[in-house]
Amino acid sequence: MIDVQNLTKTYGAFKAVDRFSFRVDPGEVVGLIGPNGAGKTSTLRCIVGIQAPSAGTITIGGHDIVRAPVEAKRLLAFMADEPQLFEYLTVMEHLRLTARLYRVRDVESRARDLVAELQLTGKEQALPAELSRGMKQKVAIACGLLHEPKALLFDEPLTGLDPLGIRHMKQTIVSRGRGGAAVIVSSHLLHLVEEICTRIVIIDHGVKVADATLAELKARPELAAAGSSLEQIFLAATAGEP
Amino acid sequence: MVGAFLYLTACSFKNRLRRRLQRLREPRYVIGLVVGLLYMYFTIFGRGRRGNTAAGAPALAALSGPLQLFGSLLLLVMAAGAWVMPGAGQPLAYSRAEVQFLFQAPVTRRQLVHYKLLRAQLAILLSSAIAALVLRPGSLVTGWTLMAGLWVVMMTMRLHLMGVALRRASLGAHGAGGLARQWLPLAVVLGAAGVLAAAVITAWPALSSASGADAQYAALQRLASEGAAGVVLWPFRALARLPLSTSAVEFWSALPAALALLVVNYVWVLRSDAAFEEASAEHAERRAGRREAPRAVVRGGAATPFTLAPDGPPETAILWKNLILVGRYVSLRTALRLLPLIVVFGLLARNAAAGGAAAFVGALSLPLAAMTVLLGPQMMRNDLRQDLARLAMLKSWPVRGAALIRGEVLAPTVVVTAVAWLFLLVAALLGGGLKPGSREATAFVAHRASYLAAAFAVAPAIVLSQVVVQNGLAVLFPAWVAVGASRARGIDAMGQRLFMLAGILLTLVVSLIPGVMAAAALAFLVYQLTGVVPIVLPALIVAFVIAGECWLAIEGLGRILDRTDPSAVEAVE
Repeated sequence: MIDVQNLTKTYGAFKAVDRFSFRVDPGEVVGLIGPNGAGKTSTLRCIVGIQAPSAGTITIGGHDIVRAPVEAKRLLAFMADEPQLFEYLTVMEHLRLTARLYRVRDVESRARDLVAELQLTGKEQALPAELSRGMKQKVAIACGLLHEPKALLFDEPLTGLDPLGIRHMKQTIVSRGRGGAAVIVSSHLLHLVEEICTRIVIIDHGVKVADATLAELKARPELAAAGSSLEQIFLAATAGEP
Repeated sequence: MVGAFLYLTACSFKNRLRRRLQRLREPRYVIGLVVGLLYMYFTIFGRGRRGNTAAGAPALAALSGPLQLFGSLLLLVMAAGAWVMPGAGQPLAYSRAEVQFLFQAPVTRRQLVHYKLLRAQLAILLSSAIAALVLRPGSLVTGWTLMAGLWVVMMTMRLHLMGVALRRASLGAHGAGGLARQWLPLAVVLGAAGVLAAAVITAWPALSSASGADAQYAALQRLASEGAAGVVLWPFRALARLPLSTSAVEFWSALPAALALLVVNYVWVLRSDAAFEEASAEHAERRAGRREAPRAVVRGGAATPFTLAPDGPPETAILWKNLILVGRYVSLRTALRLLPLIVVFGLLARNAAAGGAAAFVGALSLPLAAMTVLLGPQMMRNDLRQDLARLAMLKSWPVRGAALIRGEVLAPTVVVTAVAWLFLLVAALLGGGLKPGSREATAFVAHRASYLAAAFAVAPAIVLSQVVVQNGLAVLFPAWVAVGASRARGIDAMGQRLFMLAGILLTLVVSLIPGVMAAAALAFLVYQLTGVVPIVLPALIVAFVIAGECWLAIEGLGRILDRTDPSAVEAVE
């Protein structure tokens, strides 16, 4: 569903992502992890078409994000770490706008379900200024899920959520994966990645350093000595700790 | 503590200056700086080259009396407005960082006020210096007295506004209890307002019957300097007198009274016990976090411009979104900003109307329609200029760049056109009573229905072309456009704005040429064949050609937007 081949992204002389390739099949929840400045956000932004790749190809459901962006974006949803909402639209108006842009017909019933799933009931007519950061995050996620995307990208999805919200968010991500969507979760919360992801891609300095299940990573000879937790493996793989 | 405040102020100034110098590495800022410096040079020094230097001092001296009068009235309006105008708590506005670092530090309320005064010094000194340079009184003596006088006036007003903001904070925090705490300043303000109102009512027959500017000025001068009104206005006259002193002797004689007012206001501010921290922290959050948010919280059931159907082009959805913004953002303050322009146009239109109140409104509506068409697209920014800060989100939508821009330009075009049409309609309906002097104007009134139809056709096209240019600039030079409500500062930014304004006007003229040429050719043909000069048909052709140009421009801009990297949208200061 998501196929990234030799993605390179440069900013002037700085190469943020260097010939990065990976794919996410339907039903997979892939954790994209790496240290600060590793190139995770650049990768995600290239995948969703916010930024153009400097080189390489990205296809979503067979549609090239550069050559057929509209078709590719219809299959996508990107939940950024900082929820971007229009301050002058209510929660329901955000959902109606999104429905029109993504051609969702039964907006009212789907919106009702999502509002309930994300515990936004009672906040339908609220403006973003009246919502906490966690609530705003939920609104952005509701907008992302409204058109039942085939490919979902979450960038730090748990930021600002309370414990109950975190639990629900994990369930939401996992259920979308089980429902057949291809999901990428980028996060520094390694326990989250360890808990919900079926595969892990580690990126460091723009270069892929690992792409395997947690079990496969643990079995690698060069990482086996590091320990059994993802945190230990991550630190060893990115040379964060000797 | 003063040392810490001085350190913070000095570091902020140094780093801001360094940042502005650093951005000069980019050509656009260099161009802006050059244009800005040239503008300042010609504004400040240009007059001297035209030989007006010697005329400056006598002219200022001759106008000193009227300037003092109107200056004192202006100060009165500012002081009175601080009690009633929304957002007058600004002198107590702290940034989010200031709230974070200073409000939780072991700093007293009084020290926070001192810090605010310290931070204001640089701006006040700079404003005084620039005003002295621009006004150029003609001699060194009057130059420094003007600058020093302006500093005293600005500082006193700053203190006064701060005092009012503190009293308002106290009233807001304590409700009815606040009235008991703040009874004295409230009584003084209400008493002064009552005295002035009574004086104006009493003197109104003399004021309205005075014929000629000199007589009106003399009546006004008497009103402002004699009796109870003279006492109420004394502080403002004393302040206004200082910078307008025409000699050093006059300055020194006016200084004690002005300084006394400064000290009184300073003591008044320091004696305040208002707990302003909470209101200031809220203000900082509002300013930093949601600059473009609606002023008032809009609850559920708030009207939307129309019901958004689930199907249809994305342009309609973006129009719907941006029209909601208009409904929820237009505030009393926005309307008040237009008031001075309306008053000026009203005074100008008064001379043209001799047919009673209806004709006066009709005459006023015509320049207002023109003003709306020409200035509306600059002011109505509910389009890509507003959304540029969210470019990353917009680019994640499954919408082509051209469709996105088309949707974005629709809302300001619709709103500005609707306002312009309203004024045109009023002008056409009420303009029949006008009794213009010239033959051409009489013909214009007689054929106003045709002109109305022509204006109805051309107005949206001209509005659209300007909105497209504005949005085009946002796409082509995102760093030059103020994102949301933020505005870049400095001479280079001022130069950029002048450069852009010139570019917008030039583009408007160029975009009009093909349509006007085609319309002129057709009008000539019709005239040759029928002997009648057509009005509506050429206007329709102009509108049609401009609309076509806009469509092509949007298609081109859309392709550029599709390739635009959101990181190119620089966060301006």
